[in-house]
Amino acid sequence: MLFGRGKKNPIKIADKGVVAWKYAACGYCSTGCSIEVGLNADGKPVASRGVADADVNRGKLCLKGIFEHELFESAGRGTRPLMRERWHEPWQPASWDSALDKLADEIRRIQAKHGPDSFAIISTGQMLTEEFYTLGKLTRGLIGTNNYDGNTTLCMSSAVSGYKRSFGSDGPPGCYDDFDHTDCLIAWGSNLPEQHPIIYWRMKEAQEKRGFTLIVVDPRVTMLAQNAHLHLPITPGTDVVLMNAMMHVIFKEGLHDQRYIDANTHGIDALRAEVEKYDPVTASKLCGIDEDTIRVVARTFAKSGAAMQIWTMGINQSTHGSDGVVGINNLALITGNIGKPGGTSLSITGQCNAMGTREWSSCSGLPNYRYLEYAEHREEVAKFWNVDPEFFPKKRGMLQTDIYQAMEAGQIKGLWLIATNPMSSLPNTARIRKAMEQLEFCCVQDCYEDTESAQYAHVYLPAGTWAEKDGVMTNTERRINRVKPVTPPPGEAKPDLWIFNRVAERFNRDGRVKFPEHAGDIFLEMGQLSVGRLADISGMDHALIEANRGIQWPYTAEQKERGEAPPRGGKRLYTQDGTFSYPDGRAKLIPLPFIDNNEVPDDKFPVWLNTGRLIEHWHGRTKTGKIGNNNKYSPIPFIEINPALAAELGIARGEYVRMVSRRGDAIAMAQPTQRVPKNMVFLPFHFHDCANRLTLGLLDPHSRQPAYKQSAIRIEKIADQQAAAKLSMDMRTF
Amino acid sequence: MFKHPTSMPGYAFKRGAESESDQHSATPAAAPATANANGIFRYLRDNEPDYARLHDPVTHERNRYGQPIETVPEGHELRGQSLRINGCSEVGANPNRYKQHGFFFNADNCIACHACEAACSEKNDNPAHIAFRSVGFVEGGTYPNTQRLNISMACNHCDNPVCLKGCPTRAYTKFAEYGAVLQDPDICFGCGYCTWVCPYNAPQLDPIKGQVSKCNMCVDRLEVGLKPACVSACLGKALDFGVIENIPEGRTQARAEIPGFPRTDITHPNIRFQQTRATQRDMLRLDSAPLKYYRDDASGRFKPVVDPKHGFARQWNLKKLLGSHENAHIAFTLSVQAVMGAFLALTVGAWLGVAAIVDFVGSAAYIPTVLAMVALMGFGLVKLNLHLGKPLRFYRGFNNWRLSPVSREIAGVSLFFGGLSGTGFFALFDGLPFAGALQTASAVAGLAGLVVGGYYMIKLYRIPARPFWDHWHTGAAFSGAALALGGVLLALVALAAGVLTTPLAALLGGMVAAGLALEAAGLLAHARDMKARGDEGAAAHYEQTTTYGWPYLLRNGLLGAALFASLATAASGAALLFVPLAAIAIAAAVLGRALFYVLVIPTTLPGAFFWRNQGFVEHARESGLAAMPQLGVVMERH
Repeated sequence: MLFGRGKKNPIKIADKGVVAWKYAACGYCSTGCSIEVGLNADGKPVASRGVADADVNRGKLCLKGIFEHELFESAGRGTRPLMRERWHEPWQPASWDSALDKLADEIRRIQAKHGPDSFAIISTGQMLTEEFYTLGKLTRGLIGTNNYDGNTTLCMSSAVSGYKRSFGSDGPPGCYDDFDHTDCLIAWGSNLPEQHPIIYWRMKEAQEKRGFTLIVVDPRVTMLAQNAHLHLPITPGTDVVLMNAMMHVIFKEGLHDQRYIDANTHGIDALRAEVEKYDPVTASKLCGIDEDTIRVVARTFAKSGAAMQIWTMGINQSTHGSDGVVGINNLALITGNIGKPGGTSLSITGQCNAMGTREWSSCSGLPNYRYLEYAEHREEVAKFWNVDPEFFPKKRGMLQTDIYQAMEAGQIKGLWLIATNPMSSLPNTARIRKAMEQLEFCCVQDCYEDTESAQYAHVYLPAGTWAEKDGVMTNTERRINRVKPVTPPPGEAKPDLWIFNRVAERFNRDGRVKFPEHAGDIFLEMGQLSVGRLADISGMDHALIEANRGIQWPYTAEQKERGEAPPRGGKRLYTQDGTFSYPDGRAKLIPLPFIDNNEVPDDKFPVWLNTGRLIEHWHGRTKTGKIGNNNKYSPIPFIEINPALAAELGIARGEYVRMVSRRGDAIAMAQPTQRVPKNMVFLPFHFHDCANRLTLGLLDPHSRQPAYKQSAIRIEKIADQQAAAKLSMDMRTF
Repeated sequence: MFKHPTSMPGYAFKRGAESESDQHSATPAAAPATANANGIFRYLRDNEPDYARLHDPVTHERNRYGQPIETVPEGHELRGQSLRINGCSEVGANPNRYKQHGFFFNADNCIACHACEAACSEKNDNPAHIAFRSVGFVEGGTYPNTQRLNISMACNHCDNPVCLKGCPTRAYTKFAEYGAVLQDPDICFGCGYCTWVCPYNAPQLDPIKGQVSKCNMCVDRLEVGLKPACVSACLGKALDFGVIENIPEGRTQARAEIPGFPRTDITHPNIRFQQTRATQRDMLRLDSAPLKYYRDDASGRFKPVVDPKHGFARQWNLKKLLGSHENAHIAFTLSVQAVMGAFLALTVGAWLGVAAIVDFVGSAAYIPTVLAMVALMGFGLVKLNLHLGKPLRFYRGFNNWRLSPVSREIAGVSLFFGGLSGTGFFALFDGLPFAGALQTASAVAGLAGLVVGGYYMIKLYRIPARPFWDHWHTGAAFSGAALALGGVLLALVALAAGVLTTPLAALLGGMVAAGLALEAAGLLAHARDMKARGDEGAAAHYEQTTTYGWPYLLRNGLLGAALFASLATAASGAALLFVPLAAIAIAAAVLGRALFYVLVIPTTLPGAFFWRNQGFVEHARESGLAAMPQLGVVMERH
């Protein structure tokens, strides 16, 4: 063997000089991984690694988590408050006091002039739960606008709505441990390996051990679809038809679980009558899946000892999003696949703390899945907060998408936008731009001052991000995990909690409502408010959560007093007969008639526009677009286009193309691939001024979530490629 | 193995840094740190998951190439030494320390999640434009029956490390420990030759730092019984690592090939694959390379074939052709070859008593000619040296004379330059005692340098991983250029000095004609053979006739015209014919050499659509996108 040098130099391997590791749950998706951030001797975050004994990720991280320590110093972070009279004027630095006074004064002025609901507050799924709770208390208890919502309407609203309709409450009943017990997994519109890589790893580990059947429903050939036993390349927006047809087969062949249905549900007769209309032959014409495959999938699912379903935006972001979730729940209920190991309907959530906002932000009602519509809930919370119950609205106000339509129509005059970027994330950017332009006042609170929505702001409040703050987050499997300050926010930036408490002071001069300063105390207050509720967290505290690397709710004070340690994982909801959240303990089977209201391709706009995520980017790309070792895998927008369509249009690999919809146009680079059919392109939504210049985003009637994934466009060749390259670059420079 | 590192004899294992979260951990805290906090144990936690621990219950004696897997036998002097990682003196207690290790890649499972690449770059603190490990993919079939096959690859720590053999500075070492091939950036002078010879694109030349770095097998992790960072990070259950030829638990194959993986016969790479899923017959690359992989049903193996991605239209692309990073090589090779040709003609002609040459050497034009040759060659040497990432380390170029053709070329060319300079210098003292003998000695040294340097200048391009170069036409083109440009050089100086007599013009015309004819013959054979190969060589030839179709035609035309003009000169001895001949021959030589460098397509891992896609890299540099630091593409340094 050949060894080269006889006299060798010492081997040099990069040494980041980590002297301490700090614990924090990851701030990207809702998988809920436990991270340790390494600090060097100067206290600078220089490394990240997965926590080895955390049940969720067991030491693993995805590429975003691996570089999460680079977030703190990424470009565009806000370091001081900014103010201006009009949005087209240059920013002026301001003190925190003057900026916060301005926000409070404008809220009061606009509410006095145009009514309490004319000022909207839109938050996020990115903050910590204590911050959501505090903002909810401030908004519902002191400010009093009913137009208060979060960007979770864009991702999880359909899941929330579907869970509520089926089970009587939000709250995913399953957990990751279900992969280790299931015999059949159907993934509806979920690209697990890209969107939730660590959950995929857990699934893959389990699948290699148990070899369960994997069925993927997705119009695009993702890696999950490619590796599935059965891939159903469904016609966009027709999932409900396929679900109905599967139920048709299950009932027809007697594969349903009559005992479970009798003991746990209402509405079986109406459901059977509805699905009777969806024989596989009829359904195959609508959903594009042949009748034999429908039968095979229905039988495989129903005959499995335990069968689980997961879904993501393929279901949620559609005009039948809520119905799709109900359909999944129907399938689970008629086969007895809820609350048992390996049998569940598990929404794979999007943002890191979308679950936290669902549970505690009061956006859709009052804390811990309480409803504004229930007098006893209003009384209970008002008493606990020491506010007048009559101050609460008696019905939920508008959701984010409806708020923007009202804003466009001139009914919303002021906006406080917190950690979200509608200029990139809402459908039909042109209309969002008009809506923002006409606001009398807009405050943007964000960790990045270059967030595109700040261009219409009058006040900018610099916030901390992720592990610059203290609190908890809840993940997809209802696990509450700790985020701890690894490093302080840059410059004068402050944690969102601090900002909310300072705003609260301005609406709470008499101090009658308590706003604890420390997240740990707020968490204990939330625990009191959770006693006896579905999401009972009264047995938890910050230290216990960290020691356990996250605890799934419920974990009650009673359990703790009994000396019952929190389980490592595997906690499920609705495990006993008749324990659903409706007052009578029964779930509802809801018939789902299919109405085809999608914008389907036609002669003028002959191509489906399918949007979605990439593994290397996080949502609006404000974070990952600035981290080279994430961004480099897709630094500019591109479309997946079938080579046959590209050839027909004379489009070469790597050329920029123009996409035109009834709303506007966008430019992206063409990547010919057979992952998409000839009548569809896939466009990642991460890039500002791109996908959402095209999307229609029809709203789901129940969840008000936009149908991002079903629009019709045409594609045009661009003659001047140089100009296109420049335009594409100029539209999104950091 | 390594289940309980705290009980490993001789070492008190401890994490390098205090983990604050352990305050609440259920497991008892480890013993106080005694090892160096920056030492080889800094990555070890007392609760490392099993998937991150090396696990080789049994090992084989020999690998599939017949080599022993044990790197050095018991008792060998290389045993028991510390790797001195970052200056630590510890010796890892890994029981398989002296066995060849390698990566195992399960192509059935890879999902292209990039976790391996990210973990690698995080650990090695690499900026976005450098990656020791990359994931590329190939794709086959038709929607929805389509298949994307992802390949993650780093260094294969080959049995036959061509990087080590090629590196002129001896920056590479194959260690007895784990058989790891490691490179020392502090020795490297940034010539990039290892990046040429490696068939897998493992060594990474950083244009900003001006040096190469590469995968270090995470030997620091191996020393404490942990798998490399990339393997431990894998989310698809695709990547694994262990003693070579071992098949990990739950896997059934250890193949040495999958579609898109370059040939293994060049270096005997230490990587094994599983790929059990049925593949499509045609697997396409999504990057810009005009290559795809076609299954040979008899062997079940895939071979690279041309994929005419951008049609068959002829283009100019002159800016790309003449603005390449390899311009320094064009200047160096052409100028040195011209000087070598001229030197050969003068010395050999004089010794053989060729009248025209003897007269010329005796004329007043001789010393200016030698000075011109020294100046021209000095220009070439400076261009080449400045092309290095670290020009001040130029003297390290001789270090690997035992193995590297580059070192031998540098030695030969230096000797030649010395001989040439000596010949000129001592000619100034013509008539003085010893001057004649010293001139002769210089000329002999120069000739020796010419033979060695000229031979290795050709030899160093005969790289199996670069089929377009690995052909006898490289020798024909280089020798042909020496004759043709050497003749032109002498004729031009003689013409300027007014001593280009008819016999000399005829002689030099003949020399030029011989050189051009040799190059033309090489080119004809080259085009024929490249087309027939059907691999990266054919792909390069496809680019030659399309992307650079017009310059290729122009060069061929110029070459023909020059050959005609030189024959006319040889026949007529008309001195003035050398004016057009020189212009045409030089233009043909520059164009030809530019094509030689720009066209080569190495055998390498397929790229992705943005990352590791040469087409996107070029677009990013042309459009200005590369100015964004987070893009992962940096500008070339010239």
